[in-house]
Amino acid sequence: MIEREVTVTNRAGLHTRPASMIVRTASRFRSEFFIQKDGYEINGKSIIGVMTLAAEQGATLILQLDGEDENEAAEALATLFEDGFGEVK
Amino acid sequence: MKVNQDQLDKVVHKGIPVSPGIAIGPAYLYAKVTFEVEKRAIDPEIVKTESARFEDAVSKAERDLNKIITVTREKLGENSASIFEAQLLMLRDQAVYPEVVSYIENNCINAGFAVQTVLSKHRRVMESSGNEYLRERANDLLDIQDRIIRHLRRGRILSAVDENSIVFSENITAADIILFSRRGILGCATDFGGPTSHVSIMARALHVPAIVSTHGVTDHVKTGDFVVLDGIKGEIIVNPSDAVLAHYRTKQERYLRLVQEDKSLVPLKAETLDGHRISLQANLELREELPQLIEYGAEGIGLYRTEMSLLLEGRALVTEEEQFSQYQEVVSKTAPWTTTFRILDLGGDKMLPMGHREQNPYLGWRGIRILLDKLELLVPQLRAMLRASAFGKVRILLPMVTSIHEVRRFKEILEQTKQNLTREGVGFATEIPVGVMVEVPSVALAAEQFAKETDFFSIGTNDLTQYVLAVDRGNDLVADLYDELHPAVLQLIKMTTDAAKAAGIPVSLCGELATNLRAVPVLIGLGIDTLSASPIYLPGIKRVIRAMKMSEGRELASKALIASDPREFRAELERWLDEHSCGVSFFLDSTPTE
Repeated sequence: MIEREVTVTNRAGLHTRPASMIVRTASRFRSEFFIQKDGYEINGKSIIGVMTLAAEQGATLILQLDGEDENEAAEALATLFEDGFGEVK
Repeated sequence: MKVNQDQLDKVVHKGIPVSPGIAIGPAYLYAKVTFEVEKRAIDPEIVKTESARFEDAVSKAERDLNKIITVTREKLGENSASIFEAQLLMLRDQAVYPEVVSYIENNCINAGFAVQTVLSKHRRVMESSGNEYLRERANDLLDIQDRIIRHLRRGRILSAVDENSIVFSENITAADIILFSRRGILGCATDFGGPTSHVSIMARALHVPAIVSTHGVTDHVKTGDFVVLDGIKGEIIVNPSDAVLAHYRTKQERYLRLVQEDKSLVPLKAETLDGHRISLQANLELREELPQLIEYGAEGIGLYRTEMSLLLEGRALVTEEEQFSQYQEVVSKTAPWTTTFRILDLGGDKMLPMGHREQNPYLGWRGIRILLDKLELLVPQLRAMLRASAFGKVRILLPMVTSIHEVRRFKEILEQTKQNLTREGVGFATEIPVGVMVEVPSVALAAEQFAKETDFFSIGTNDLTQYVLAVDRGNDLVADLYDELHPAVLQLIKMTTDAAKAAGIPVSLCGELATNLRAVPVLIGLGIDTLSASPIYLPGIKRVIRAMKMSEGRELASKALIASDPREFRAELERWLDEHSCGVSFFLDSTPTE
């Protein structure tokens, strides 16, 4: 299992579109995926879960991945956050 | 045709026409309420059949959403489509799909009840969130719950509307109307909504005759009632007599023929018989509507409502970059014609940026009043507009101005923004005309003063009428008093055009009055030189202009200014149209009279 800390950089936060991108990306991998925020944990392959985080710009999240492709998955997901989901920062 | 007016009045329901055309056929009452789902035990032997039924409903809901996404993306853009893409993911969400299946199979319970139980649980979590955006998104869960349950109920209640029916609903979404139009519906009417609401834009784009804001028509119509929906006049007639029906059948035929004939007008100029050139421009809300400029022959954009794409976005702030990318596309595609951007017009009946509530919103914090208080909204928008001006002609229009000080303050901010861009080495056009909306009587009354400090006027007749007559047309008790051809309204229009002429600045009119064909000769006679409306209305307006002389317009205008009996004067205008415009008034004056 690996953990990776990421920050929400896009101005609008994890609204519908970024949440969809996270779930779609995570679903390409076999690893289990959870996101932790302020001691709260949700299933990262669930759009309802990701939206419930209500993560705004500046929020810090921990991505937790467990499975054979955990490294590739962590890399792909962290890139989404770094790119601000292709939105304006 | 002779029909008793009293008889007719009993069965006519009025609303705001938002997409023209005549629909005649059976009504279908579409209930947008959550279904009550009963709890039913399922024989453990066949519980697998019940979860298979759930799978079947989910895959049908997926098919619906895929259609909706395709059409929404094409007509309203990627951002509007993203909401439905999220709904698509929710259907097979790991917190939903497997949970529903195990709820069905472990408890031996019907699928509908399981769907409702699981989704309500998630919805309650979202609704109790402190985050406003998340609370709104709880509606998405309700939407997919309805969608799945509708499909589960097939056989008992139709999941979609009847084909070839006229749909009546309290309120429907743009997504609903897309699915309806695929079922070949004839027309659509809703209790709520306005001309610029999502569903109205979509109805026009799909050519579905539509009426909104009917104040409870759904209480008076049942599925199967025979109805006439007049999307030109904004009237619905339930169970019409044979005579009324025959009248509308003829009107429908004439209208369809006229639409065909109007296509030949698209490449022609809007010019009166005695050679006065009038400019016809488009009111637009979304970049996806841009192809309509060419389709209907618009000479530029007379009013681009920038708040619309922001409201569709589902969040309050749109960044400078996002606005720039939109404005740049609009300006480039409109070139060589001019794009008139109205800066954010929030407040009144439109959402406020910070969920603020007021006692009297129409007299409150709206339009430029908000923007001058909240420069963090104004400045990024101005920067985006200025940057877009490097790609084609741009004008900026200020909403809800009441005093010249607001114009001066705005110009200071504009100047400062220009200087900052210059310092950053960012290009923009040197000439950017700034105009004011004439929608509050004080601006019309002081038009001479405003004409000295602004580059153009744009008259917004909807608000102007409401303010000068002190009538809220959304209020049934007084809506009859709302009259855009009231001599007082026309007098204010005349003061505006007179001041504009004296100062040598252009004056356009962008309210619904422009689409009222009987008003067109009067408005031209009053000195309006540009009419701006939803593109679909432009060919009809052009037909009237090409049939009139300026001298006739002036004569009708001078009569209009002193008309003491509005009904009689309307009849005169209709007679005039009949004599001059190849029977335009036949479909305009739809109500059969004694």
